Amino acid sequence: MLDAFSRAVINADSKTACIGGDELASLRSFISEGNKRLDAVNAVASNASCIVSDSVAGMICENQGLIQAGGNCYPNRRMAACLRDGEIILRYVTYALLAGDASVLEDRCLNGLKETYIALGVPLGSSARAVGIMKACAVAHINQTNSMYSGSSKYRKMETAQGDCSSLAAECASYFDRVIGGLS
Amino acid sequence: MKSVVTTVVSAADSAGRFPSSSDLESVQGSLQRANARLEAAEKLANGIDAVAKEGYDACIKKYPYLNNEGEANSTEVFKEKCLRDIKHYLRLINYCLVVGGTGPLDEWGIAGQREVYRALNLPTAPYVEAMRFTRDRACAPRDMSAQALVEFRGLIDYVINSLS
Repeated sequence: MLDAFSRAVINADSKTACIGGDELASLRSFISEGNKRLDAVNAVASNASCIVSDSVAGMICENQGLIQAGGNCYPNRRMAACLRDGEIILRYVTYALLAGDASVLEDRCLNGLKETYIALGVPLGSSARAVGIMKACAVAHINQTNSMYSGSSKYRKMETAQGDCSSLAAECASYFDRVIGGLS
Repeated sequence: MKSVVTTVVSAADSAGRFPSSSDLESVQGSLQRANARLEAAEKLANGIDAVAKEGYDACIKKYPYLNNEGEANSTEVFKEKCLRDIKHYLRLINYCLVVGGTGPLDEWGIAGQREVYRALNLPTAPYVEAMRFTRDRACAPRDMSAQALVEFRGLIDYVINSLS
């Protein structure tokens, strides 16, 4: 498993070069944006169950066949397995976001996931759709644009310092895109 | 590779939980010290050739027998390799400063080190002397800030301990 720093080390080692100049500049910006990153990880992790249940519910709304007899979310047992998988995927995405590198997501989550789902008969398209909704939710929480329920009791506002989190949101979205890519 | 972040993530993963506030605190702690580490890494990268040469000269000065026929520093090829080895340790220290952990030294420097030096019949004392000289030669604020120097010296000591 790597993080943003060890990724730079691996790259430098392949050239037997020291790390200086340009690479250090990008790592410095990682450090100066560090608090933002931790807030972003916290925003996703703290709302994890909301993000997961919304995405699975959204997936089912769009495809009611999933909760009818023969559907893959039909008895509660399989619905629970689906929610659990969503949570696992989201958890690895938060790890990747914390580390600033996708290797933990690739090695521990995506490696063999598609083959497992095919073997178990899990519909890949529906899984990818649920991940797509998780991506939208997570990005909204990071950017604090989760205003759909604004004004109601369902609205969750995280009290963090205000700032531009667009690059972190884009990074987080790229990890979800990796999951979607890995499933299709 | 071992660093604060990967350690935190591994621990959270084996417990199957999302990153908790204590995990985030640990990462925050490492980020706070990161500026000093990166400063040391940068200064070391800029001067690595000169630093390695000085360390190499110091160890040959202390152990001149190495120049004798058949010893580890006797031919041009050997001399070049001795210097390269010292530079190799410094480069790994540079990596460790960047990562904020001893992962690169552990994985690429120390694992198997004893066996290799024994197989090649190399003494480790000269390496220790080169590292000791480098550690004591560096000074703040001429070379780097005091905090950066602490991080740098800590890793040199780590190498020395592994060699002795």
